[in-house]
Amino acid sequence: MKAALTIDALEVNFGGFKAVDGMTSVIDDGELRVILGPNGAGKTTLMDLVSGKTASTGGKVHLFGRDITNWPEHEIARAGIGRKFQIPSIFRELSVLQNLEVAVSQEPRVFRNLRLGIPAADRKRIDEVIDLTGLEPVLETLAGDLSHGQMQWLELGMLITQQSRVILLDEPTAGMTQGETSKTADIIMRLKGSHTIIVVEHDMAFVRKIAEKVTVMHMGKLLAEGPIRSIEADPAVREAYLGTGGLH
Amino acid sequence: MSNKAFLLGDRAVYIAFIVIVLGLPLLIDDVFWLNRVARYLVFGMLGIAMALSWGYAGILNLGQGLFFGVGAYMVAMSLKLQSWTSMQQGSDTPVPDFMLWNAQPGAPTDLCCIVPGSWLWIPFQAQWFGISMAVALPVVLALIIGATIFRLRVSGVYVAIITLALVLLTRLIFIDAQPITNGFNGLTDLGWLTVGGIEFDPLMVETYYIVAVSVCIVLLLTRWLVSTRAGLILQSTRDDANRARYLGYDVASYQIFFFTVSAAIAGFAGLLFVIVSEFATPTYFDIAFSISMVVWAAVGGRSSLIGAAIGAILINTIEATVSESEMFQQAWRLIIGVLFVLIVLYMPRGLAGLARDLLARLVALGRGKEADSAKASRNPAE
Repeated sequence: MKAALTIDALEVNFGGFKAVDGMTSVIDDGELRVILGPNGAGKTTLMDLVSGKTASTGGKVHLFGRDITNWPEHEIARAGIGRKFQIPSIFRELSVLQNLEVAVSQEPRVFRNLRLGIPAADRKRIDEVIDLTGLEPVLETLAGDLSHGQMQWLELGMLITQQSRVILLDEPTAGMTQGETSKTADIIMRLKGSHTIIVVEHDMAFVRKIAEKVTVMHMGKLLAEGPIRSIEADPAVREAYLGTGGLH
Repeated sequence: MSNKAFLLGDRAVYIAFIVIVLGLPLLIDDVFWLNRVARYLVFGMLGIAMALSWGYAGILNLGQGLFFGVGAYMVAMSLKLQSWTSMQQGSDTPVPDFMLWNAQPGAPTDLCCIVPGSWLWIPFQAQWFGISMAVALPVVLALIIGATIFRLRVSGVYVAIITLALVLLTRLIFIDAQPITNGFNGLTDLGWLTVGGIEFDPLMVETYYIVAVSVCIVLLLTRWLVSTRAGLILQSTRDDANRARYLGYDVASYQIFFFTVSAAIAGFAGLLFVIVSEFATPTYFDIAFSISMVVWAAVGGRSSLIGAAIGAILINTIEATVSESEMFQQAWRLIIGVLFVLIVLYMPRGLAGLARDLLARLVALGRGKEADSAKASRNPAE
């Protein structure tokens, strides 16, 4: 299978402290990968490095064979990586529909965007995402007035309209009710195959529901990688989680 | 559904504004008042520029006076050279009177070298040069300032502090360069704008129309600009710059573009103001003036272009009316200050927000009645 994202000996040094220290992993095209790890393992930092928020101090990131290491955020995004943040990050003073309209445009330049209206193809994609996320009844609502769950789905929906080939999800179910969590799992399952998805998550029930292959990080390094069952049985993983209550 | 009502309401306000602005000379006979209104319309244009940068881009520019003042000085230099006094200084080419007062004894009475730096005035002998510089120089300055602060990702209150400092710096430079700017006194005793042999006396109805038509065009153009995709993306960068970045937009390029458009409008406003008021002074670079623009936009509604324009025109009209009474003249600043605080606290969307809320209530009321009558007509059948 073709590799979508190759993380090669990636490293970041925050004044002597290496939050990510020689992390290596290959995520295949169309794969759904879950990244686990105790608090402070460097999961979110890894997302920051891949998406360009933080500049790495060593190692490489390749996206479909293209070296995107330390590109500016917007160029990494244009290259095909979409990112969802832990705290919902949406345009609060725009309507839900306007949020999606911002996300759908494939034209980043100012002068090319000096035009009214949305092309039919973009409109169609927005409609598909509205179907997928069930945001139809709130299209005219200001995004800031949505419920927590709806905000998360809107953000997820924006990544899909953006046509990111690789989607990074940082704790997509944080703060959600059980019903909302299960709907989020449904949305993610429907994306499987058409998008490569990388999820950082703590909720093991959720992880068991969606995961195929799991990567476990510890102290900024790769600790274990493999199918969820073998990971749960891995003594090294149990060791790393010791004191934080283990995997449960 | 209610969106349609807002759209209609919005359109109605725009049409009403344009009709009133263009029809005013039919109602006001007094040319002095018409000239005053023209000045307030110029301030309305500044309100539009402020709403664009503050309301739509989230860039609180406390130094908008910089662009207004620079625009004003550029055209004032050309008009100064066209004034009658500039031709009376004993040379074949026009020389501003104040330069003679500052000249060393024996200096040649010519723009080339009467005072150090006076050669900067030479191209302004062509009126079109001053007029184009009135917009071009603010644009260049805004590009430089914008590129510097937005590429460095400066945002929020720091933008306000930097722009505030810059307008003060500009004020110092203009006052300090007294031999060529006439310092504190500014450029007065200007000639009239002359286009195709017609001299535009500030007290002529035609001059009012130059301003009125300009304001309407700027309003509609800006309105179009914020309705484009670029305008929507700009608003998204205001709400969450990081999200916009991760959607693939180079946030700084949007901020620079709209900051520059706002500066161009302010420069154009400076140009028009000189045409109707016949002077340019360093008071345009005063902090108080730049902050007034913020107050106008806040009162009118910073997220509404026309709201901010109406806010500016309204406040200035009221100010002109009350300042005729001695008592109010003193209290006026206090009143404006209190009004500003109250509006920021309790009515952050200003007059435009108030109008929208009223419209929403009317729509809801109308719908309630409809529902009632629908119920009433159904009931007998039951």
